[in-house]
Formats: sequence, structure tokens, C-alpha cells
Amino acid sequence: MTEEIKERIKKVLVRKLLQGLNPEDIQDDTSLIELGVGADSVATLEFVVALEEEFQLSIDEDEINPELLATVSNISDYISRRIKP
Amino acid sequence: MQNIADLLLSTVEKHSDRTAVVEGERKVRYDNLYSMVQGLSSFLLSKGIGHGDRVAIFLPNSIELITSFFAIANIGAVSVPMSSAYREEEIKFYVSHSSAKLVLTEEKLKPIAERASAGTEASILPIKGETLNWPFSGANEQIIRTNIEQEDEAIYLYSTGSTGKPKRVARTHFNLLALADNHTRSVGWTEEDRILFTVPISHTYGFGNFISAVKAGASIHTLGEFNRNRVLDSIEKERITVFPAVPFMLSVLAETFPQKNRNLSSLKLVISAGAPLSKETSHKFHNKFGIYPRQLYGSTETGVISINLSDDIETKLDSVGRPVKNVEVIILTEDGSRCETNEIGEIAVKSPSMAAGYYGLAEESEKAFRNGYYFTGDLGRMDDEGYLYIVGRKKLFINISGNKVDPAELEALLSQHPKVREAAIIGVNDNFGNEIVKAVIVPESDMETKEVYEFFKGKISDFKIPRIIEFREEIPKSPTGKVLRERLRQESD
Repeated sequence: MTEEIKERIKKVLVRKLLQGLNPEDIQDDTSLIELGVGADSVATLEFVVALEEEFQLSIDEDEINPELLATVSNISDYISRRIKP
Repeated sequence: MQNIADLLLSTVEKHSDRTAVVEGERKVRYDNLYSMVQGLSSFLLSKGIGHGDRVAIFLPNSIELITSFFAIANIGAVSVPMSSAYREEEIKFYVSHSSAKLVLTEEKLKPIAERASAGTEASILPIKGETLNWPFSGANEQIIRTNIEQEDEAIYLYSTGSTGKPKRVARTHFNLLALADNHTRSVGWTEEDRILFTVPISHTYGFGNFISAVKAGASIHTLGEFNRNRVLDSIEKERITVFPAVPFMLSVLAETFPQKNRNLSSLKLVISAGAPLSKETSHKFHNKFGIYPRQLYGSTETGVISINLSDDIETKLDSVGRPVKNVEVIILTEDGSRCETNEIGEIAVKSPSMAAGYYGLAEESEKAFRNGYYFTGDLGRMDDEGYLYIVGRKKLFINISGNKVDPAELEALLSQHPKVREAAIIGVNDNFGNEIVKAVIVPESDMETKEVYEFFKGKISDFKIPRIIEFREEIPKSPTGKVLRERLRQESD
């Protein structure tokens, strides 16, 4: 389940923010901030909206911070906690 | 009405006990606002700020920002509003270029304001913060509001420049009174309206709506940075009637995963400006919230130009509407003749709220301001009912959700990086048709994407940071050495 979540996150990342990459190019613990993720608040929010749609949950802007967006693993941990039954 | 001070006083006299500004739990009536304005005006005079002096306002949307603008106008000084999101280099530019004597700010922005203003004559004064109570009281009415003529400058706004630096545009008291008049007479706001400001009042779009709101005696509900839930909460709880927005905000609100059902029935007008609004976003927003956004077109140089208030909005979704009262719009061909109905040409505007030119840029002013018109650099057409449609741009700017990015500015900045031999900045479309910034870089030696992002950090506003970075061995150019931007764009598709 966690691996599936990570793969889905990577696909959303590539679709919304990192159009020059493929999902396989992004490691679970690659520093996303070094790739520019989180630098642009507009793009970041569009990414969050896409995550919400992908995982059918709502994420308040106040929850978005550099630590959350640091790596795919971090985002995955957050999503997993939110969708846990 | 002679000047902006008269405009505020007129509203205070008519609507003294009505709510002027709401900021979270804080609320001030028009009579209270007036007292605060008088107090700050008196203080500014005591500090040697006088007629013609420039005062920068580096504050978020707030009671203090609004008070500052009127307090400065009251004494014939000139406001230089700056977005509270600006970085140090940007603040430094605006403070020194405007020769500001004082920067009004808030406590948490004081450190960056001080660093940015070092070496200029500007001193920094926080007037907002957790530890501050409004310290200015008492005013000498005899000193304030005298000798302010209609043609005196009231505000400096900056328009993104093709030289890489923003161009200063001065708007006089007359221009601003005309702007407020044109806007309110066309849109029909009244003292019963409650207008939500999450778009920055320091920018021409937010500013124009704000000054019109005051003229109408409406209440101004301020929010800081855009936050979907706070916007929707405000609209519901405060029964907002008007919501000026940019397409990005409307798009994310329309697409946001529903948290709960929202009652936005108080809304009578949602405005979209700053960038083209797609029909898809219009429909999505309407399907979700029951109201169509209405496009507004304007510029820093002119203020509001047109707004779409069509009764038949579904057939005219992509129009920016008809010119507002007292504004004339013409469409011209390359040779300067008038276009036929629906023929595409450059949009030129004549308006009593328009500036006279760019400060210190005679050549650019002559090109843009000719024969009483401002040549926008936008391409458009007008239909047989007088509705205007924007179809493109003559200028090179990239439009990021209403924020203009000048490629020359970023290219000049990148050229300072020791590893960058050459760079070109272009706008490309993402998968959803929105424009994003792409940097094409010819490096001197091995270079990584993260080095580019580290270089940009803290130097520019985040919307300017390239979303895509491509390294190449060379950038295509014409025989005369001009970068072939269109080819770069096509290669990106």
C-alpha cells in the first residue's frame, strides 16, 4: 500500500510540478526542494489540489510546510496517516 | 471633490457608523478609520514628511495598510505600496527608485525592510504588530488636507518593464478620483456591499477595487495570503457580496476536493482579472458555486479598462466586457488605422484615470503613450456589441496567474551566475494550458538544477522562479542574434 501511494504521488508530481522528469527518476528520498518543489506557492497549491483529487481528501494550506514537501516519503507518510481507516 | 482626502471624508460624512474594514476579529467603522488616518497624518507631519515626499507601504492587506494610504494622501505625500511578499532585492529597488523617506511596515517585516533600505535615506517604522497598539492619536485638522491639488501625485505603482526593471507610473489625485468614479458607476457597488480582499491592495487590481469600495462606502474585508478555506469561511460567515480574484484562485477553488457544502449565496459578483480566465474554469466554478466569474481588464498604467457584466454571460464567457464609464477603447492595426469589428489589432485606451507616462523613461513613454492613448501591447478584438476580447500579447511577458514575469529580468539575473554562459527565459504551457516559466541555460561547466534554485532563493518573488529548467549546448538565434523564443516554445510543446 505504501509503495502504491508513493508511485501515485510521483505521478502527480511529474504531472503538476516536474514535467521534465519521469516518475522513475524520482527516488523516495530525493530532496524535492532541490528540484524546486515548494519554491513557487501557486505551483505548490496546484500540486496539493491534485493530491487531494488523487487521494480524495482535503489538505489545508496551513498543513503545507517544507518538511511535508521535503521528500516523496514524507508526503506518503502524511497521506497514509490521513487515509488510514 | 478635489483629492483623495475629500473622497474619504465624503464617505465618512455619509456612512460614519458603517463598517469600513474588517480584518479577522478586528473591525473599524468609517469614523474610527478617519480618526486613525488623522492621527497617522499628524504623526507623519511631525516626522518631517510633507507634500511630495514618498512613503513606502510594506504591509499585508490590513486596517493599517488602508489607514497608511489615506494618511499619506491627506498630507499631499505619495504612497509607494509594495507587496508584503517581496524579497529583499525587490524592496531595495522600490525604496531607492522612489526615493522613499519612510517605510511603514509591520513588526515581523521590519528586519527585511531594514536590510533592504540600508544605504537609502528611508527610515523604517512598524505600525502593525502583536506588541503594538495603534500609537497615533490627536490631529491638527488645520494642517492636514491643505494645498493638495488634483494634479498632485498620490501614488506610485510599478509596471513590469521590458528593460528588466519595473517602470514607475504616477497616478494623481485626479486619476484616482476618476478611477473610483468610473468603477463604481459601472459596477454599481453600494454601502451595503461587503468586498473580500485576498488579492493584494498594493497591486493595481486590488488597489482599484479598494478605492472604489471606499467611494461607495462598502466594507472592506481583508485576508492575507490566499487560503481556500479562509476565503470560503469569510464569504460564508461575513456574507461577502463581492469577491475580486485571479484565475488561479478560481481554478483551485473550483477543483478543490469538497470538504463540506458551502453557502455562497451572498455573492453577487465574482471578478476575475490579471490573466485570461478559461471557459473551463468559468463553468467549473459556476457548477460548484452557482455563480459565473466576470472578467475585468485593466493595467497599472490606466486602472480598470473594462468589465464583463453581460446579462448573457454564457455566450460571452471569454470576453473582458465593455469599457467602463468614461473609458474609451480602440483597436488599431499595425499601420495605425482602426480595425473593423472582430478584426484583431493592438488595444489602445483613453481614460481619465491613466498615468501620463513612465518616470525617467522618455523613449518608452513616447512609444506607449501617444495621441492621448495608452498602447497596451495587448492584442484584441471588439465584437459588434462592443465587447472586448483579449487574444494575445505583443509584449514578451509571461503571465503566471495574474503576475507578470519579465524574461529580461530573470535572464539578467541568471547571467550573474558564474556557471551560466547564457540563458533564455520563456513561457510554456503546462498540461492544463496554464503558462509557466521555463529557463533554458547554456552552462559554462557542469551544472545541476538545484544550483539554479539555490541561486534564485531570496532574490525574486516565488512566482518568478522557473518551473522547468533545461540545460543545452546552445540557444537558437536569428542571424541578427535575437533569441528565437518561439522556436524554444515550440520545442517545449
